[in-house]
Amino acid sequence: MAAAPDRFGLSWRPEYAAGILCHADEIDLVEIIADNFLNDASVARSLRTLSAQLPISLHSVSLGLASSLPVETRRLDKLARLFDICTPDSWSEHFAFVRAGGHEIGHLAAPPRNDETIDGTIKNIHLAARIVARAPVLENIATLIRPPLSTYGEWRWMDHILNAASCGLLLDLHNLLANCANCGDDPGQTLRRVPLDRVQTVHLSGGKWIKDPRNPDRRHLLDDHLHDVPDIVYDLLSTLAELSPNPLTVIIERDGNFPAFEIMRDQLQRARDAVASGRARRLQHHRQEPQLEHC
Amino acid sequence: MSTADVETFLARLYTDEDLRARFLRSPDEVLSREPLSAQQRSALAAIDPSELILAADSHGHKRTSRRRR
Repeated sequence: MAAAPDRFGLSWRPEYAAGILCHADEIDLVEIIADNFLNDASVARSLRTLSAQLPISLHSVSLGLASSLPVETRRLDKLARLFDICTPDSWSEHFAFVRAGGHEIGHLAAPPRNDETIDGTIKNIHLAARIVARAPVLENIATLIRPPLSTYGEWRWMDHILNAASCGLLLDLHNLLANCANCGDDPGQTLRRVPLDRVQTVHLSGGKWIKDPRNPDRRHLLDDHLHDVPDIVYDLLSTLAELSPNPLTVIIERDGNFPAFEIMRDQLQRARDAVASGRARRLQHHRQEPQLEHC
Repeated sequence: MSTADVETFLARLYTDEDLRARFLRSPDEVLSREPLSAQQRSALAAIDPSELILAADSHGHKRTSRRRR
């Protein structure tokens, strides 16, 4: 049986609606922020119309699955209703907590990486999979702060959870780059520590360097989704395609400072080229392996 | 005193500007009033101040832009 092909798509933004629909033959899928469609049935039904044009993937940002605290079931119930309306290809969430003790952080925060959050996250994933009737693919987050009370490194902590919950990984390469830049790690070496057999989806985005508020000699890489995908992220994508045994679904994210749609098409093409070059190297390695055995 | 207490304290630090300012001035004093273990207090006191400021700013910016939408 032929392997499933790699796929390439964009995050859905109203600014790009016309461009995406006019070029639907070049775009394999769109990723929808699920949270924007949970509270209004008529808006949710618009997704049914969109999903008739293109495969869609739902991306959740406010469940807070990665926590020692239990996920709120009313949020999962709403998501399950959205699934009934638009039958998505897949859905994803983050390795993040977003609230605790009644305090809404309003964004993705890194929890302490320890046994309690491993156990809590696994329970939350199982509950989510039961209510939504499908397990989420989980995404690594960018964090500007090293989470205190952590007894695991980032990738070991995620690996424990992915294995125990049998989940796929959404690998955000700019998040990986940002965390490496801010912790002094090498992104290429870190990529090799990723559980590559779990990677199903890839996010590409951009960010910017920001000044340290207290130390003029230090700077931090902010993942803001407001800038084009940098060259190094395409290099990481190419390496990933070389190493990954699975078909990849690659999504380019953009949350603002929107360039012309042509620029997004160019970035999609660069992503296709990066994956193609990585796949070609992978094929070459496989062809060379039997010859080496005979030497 | 579980990780849930630490998550709650972190969520407060990110969202409560006054608490954050007091914590940055005197972490030990703020932490002494929290229902946390000595190990948890010590780990929280070791948070890099720059990283806390940047993370809180980033979360605050996202909260504000979400409210505007």
